Amino acid sequence: MSYPPVTLKRRKPNVWWRSVVIGLIALVINLPLVNALITSLKTDAAIGLSPFSFDGGLTLEHFTAILGGSGYNFLGFLANSAQISLGSVALIMVIAVPASYAIVRLGFGGSWLLQIITSLRLVPAMFFAIPFFLIFSSLGAYDTIVGLVLANAFINLPLALLIICGTLRELPVEIEEASTIDGAGPFRSLFSIVLPLLAPGLVAVGILVFVFSWSDYLFAVILSASNAVPVTVGAAFFVTSAGIAWGNLAAVTVVSVIIPLSFAFFAQRYLVRGLSAGAIK
Amino acid sequence: MTAPSSLTTRPTIEGRKGSRRRRPANRGPARWILSAPLLVFLALFVAFPIVYGVQSALTSKTLLDPTPTWVGLGNFGAVLTDAGFWHSALFTLLYTVVVTGFELAFGFGLALLFDKDFPGKKFLLSAVILPIMIAPALMGIMFRLLLNSNIGLLPGFLHSIGVDVPLLGAGTVVPMLMGLDVLQWTPFTFLLFHAALQSVPGELHEAAQLDRANYPRFVVSILIPLMVPTIFIAGFLRAIDAFRTFDTINVLTSGGPGDNTTTLSIYIYKILSAGNFGTASAAALIVALIMLPLVPVVVRRITRGAV
Amino acid sequence: MTRKSLPRHATVASIAIVAVGIALSGCGASGSSSTNANGVTNLKMIMEPGPEADSMSKLVDAFNSGQGAKDKIHVEIDQLSRTDTFAKEAALMSTQSSDYDIYRTTSYLVAQHAPYLEPLTLNGDNYFKAPVESLQVDGKQYGIPLDPSVHLLYYRTDLIDQMLKDAPTYEKISQDVLGKKLEPKSPDQWTWDDYIASAAYFTKKYNPNSPTPYGTQLQAKNLLYNAMVWDDVLWGLGGNWLNSAGQPDLTSTAAQNAVNVYRTVYTKGLTAADSDQAEFPETEAALGSGNAAFAVQWNAGYAQLNDASKSPKTAGKIGIAPVPGGKTHVHALSLGVNKYGKHTSQAQEFIKYLDDPATMGSYVGDGGIASMPKALSTKTDPNTAALNKALSGGSFSEPALPKAFDVYTALANDLSAAWVGQGDVSSALAKANADVAKLAGK
Repeated sequence: MSYPPVTLKRRKPNVWWRSVVIGLIALVINLPLVNALITSLKTDAAIGLSPFSFDGGLTLEHFTAILGGSGYNFLGFLANSAQISLGSVALIMVIAVPASYAIVRLGFGGSWLLQIITSLRLVPAMFFAIPFFLIFSSLGAYDTIVGLVLANAFINLPLALLIICGTLRELPVEIEEASTIDGAGPFRSLFSIVLPLLAPGLVAVGILVFVFSWSDYLFAVILSASNAVPVTVGAAFFVTSAGIAWGNLAAVTVVSVIIPLSFAFFAQRYLVRGLSAGAIK
Repeated sequence: MTAPSSLTTRPTIEGRKGSRRRRPANRGPARWILSAPLLVFLALFVAFPIVYGVQSALTSKTLLDPTPTWVGLGNFGAVLTDAGFWHSALFTLLYTVVVTGFELAFGFGLALLFDKDFPGKKFLLSAVILPIMIAPALMGIMFRLLLNSNIGLLPGFLHSIGVDVPLLGAGTVVPMLMGLDVLQWTPFTFLLFHAALQSVPGELHEAAQLDRANYPRFVVSILIPLMVPTIFIAGFLRAIDAFRTFDTINVLTSGGPGDNTTTLSIYIYKILSAGNFGTASAAALIVALIMLPLVPVVVRRITRGAV
Repeated sequence: MTRKSLPRHATVASIAIVAVGIALSGCGASGSSSTNANGVTNLKMIMEPGPEADSMSKLVDAFNSGQGAKDKIHVEIDQLSRTDTFAKEAALMSTQSSDYDIYRTTSYLVAQHAPYLEPLTLNGDNYFKAPVESLQVDGKQYGIPLDPSVHLLYYRTDLIDQMLKDAPTYEKISQDVLGKKLEPKSPDQWTWDDYIASAAYFTKKYNPNSPTPYGTQLQAKNLLYNAMVWDDVLWGLGGNWLNSAGQPDLTSTAAQNAVNVYRTVYTKGLTAADSDQAEFPETEAALGSGNAAFAVQWNAGYAQLNDASKSPKTAGKIGIAPVPGGKTHVHALSLGVNKYGKHTSQAQEFIKYLDDPATMGSYVGDGGIASMPKALSTKTDPNTAALNKALSGGSFSEPALPKAFDVYTALANDLSAAWVGQGDVSSALAKANADVAKLAGK
């Protein structure tokens, strides 16, 4: 019930200008990252002298520093970030998929439930920092991966519900009705009919939740101390009272982007298709 | 932090989805069973923080005076009568409107550019959405490096071509911050528009192709009306996040000079850092209340169908 | 109607990603239990990353393998982010958490932290007066003074030598910028007027032959630490937060003049335009890149500027002088014992271990700084000598108001626009004065 996205096969002689223009836009948009990449390969002396100085040539010292040389366990931080992000995606799927079905197809909670949850996103995150800290301390989830998974699921739940509800609403109801006539209950319709159709949308949600969990800083600062420190908080170790270690921070930025980027690159097509609820015609 | 959407409702020429506007069947226990995980989660991790936060907003709890005394709406009054609050509310509102507008326009324009085949499309798509992958906290620090007049690439480059603009100078810092937000989040709106454009029926494009002179008219009279729901959703998602902007600006300016770049989130953070928990909670609730009227409009659109 | 399911390689990719995640979990940081294994008490303490934490780690290791092993105490450091350590501590304290036994505190926070800390007994005679007194609240000691922070004037000796030989140009420029003729002087004799005139001399706009584009670098970002730097100007010009009667005194002529020092430097372009967003690292960058000839900077800035592998342009050419006006803010980083901790007596024991010139001597040897004259005397580099001098005289600590932290924050908030030429000086100072009045009480 869906066509692949329409592509125009007729090559125009002037297609190259598009690549050039978009390439330039991409370069401008990514200037901070390009700069981080250049900085991460320069010596401290060159970084401090001028943006165009390459004193001491290119160096990998900042990468070796963050991958063990600095006394910080960055691989551990990366692993924590990966676990937190994957955990949040999994938890959100478990919560949001059945709930969306109940909201959209079974009329659960009218529109108020979704409104309340969406409203959570309007409250500045600091409002929740201390109560979360209290809950997690009493549950023994302070400074654990589980605690941060819960926190990130909380942050991203409104978004995930909105997207999944929106996608679900776009699915034609007729197939489910047909299966209901065949005697299938809501559970079977959900798992055998709706879920496969929702898949692209779920992949898109998964990518976004992964990326936003990976980026979280505020909750991580409050809720982690030594065991569950993710990359965003680990990076702050290079902002010290004796100055900012620009080279190391730039290297952290470059390394921290690699994982979500590869994630998005492989799933790019599904990201776009999933966000385009109109994969169904 | 932000959010996107497959809320890009599928545009149809009629713009209505007759078949989907049925009354949902009410199927007893299934509704509760399917919602159970959500309800449990809300009960455990949302109800308490909200109750706690509202309660602390109604008490005078500070670090110096930790025994909470009931002050009713006193904290709300204190926030609402503080000139600093209104100043940052106005700045935040202006910031939100400006960046959301630009991000919608640029994102849409970029999506139109992507709406054809061209060499390197897949790679460039990844390149364009790359900024979404960078944590705002790290982004702030990378901006600080990029824009530093002594060791930053951008001032260095501008200086070498004879342009000496103080990028973060007292006179330019506000538009600069807005520009950085646009740089950081246009990829996000672009992604939503790009996805939505995928679902525009091919025959429409074919028709537009035949008559290239009329492409602008095709965009204005056909494409934009089809994109209205997406514009709406993307605008909503950007606006609520722009309104709570914190990380990047806090790292770059701490809200200064004076309180010229103090967003509401920075305003709250400073109150919280000083240990004034009650006032901070009250201010956070006020921020949420300001944005609240947007919610039903958007949610109804999603749960009931296109307007 | 066809079904659109995920193509196979997407499934493979998802599985691969999950697998990578699980594989990575293998190298996650291993947890440490704070339970008492075989009768050893684990003490947890908070510090922020940097040389002081590096040095403290070595000290803690020595303690754990020495006296700690004897007394069955094992100390661990949790490093929290530098910017958010105090916000997080506020959360911990407000919930009367017992997660940490030893908190990070400072001169400017100790009054706020005092309700959550146990009083300490220290050998006060071992310390410089200003740091030890700055950690007292109502006559009780709540923090042990560790690394002191003061401000010093760092200047390029090679450039200043040049300036001293160029009196004619200097006189002309000072006449242009300040409206009075000044002689070039050595930085240790500067008043704030000399500072401004010398900054103009090293600014290309006024002196096309200047070796640097700008004379100096202000730290004018809206940040409480920058208010501490500006306080030097206020005190040096004879001003103060409160007058002798304890009333807020920020509408004084001295305060007007102090704001105008910053305002003149910024609006005349003697500092880079983006110094309105500058703090410690930006000042290091301005000096290290050779774009500024001198600046008032925290004493922690010297090491990087004098290190050839980090600042090849300035290493070996950094002269040190007291801040113009001869007054520098001083505060001490510190540790305090959590009143709500589970192991207060063991924590007190660790503090006792630190309260000892020999311990502090090795702390200094590992790169920390001590608030003890005896421990500092083990180092003889010029920066330590200058620090020693500042701590022995010429330093001041602001009144230990319970809300000192808020006062600094308010000063930065109220004055940072006026520093860079926005709004007018008297209304900014009036606002600051009103805020100090509000915050000076409990």
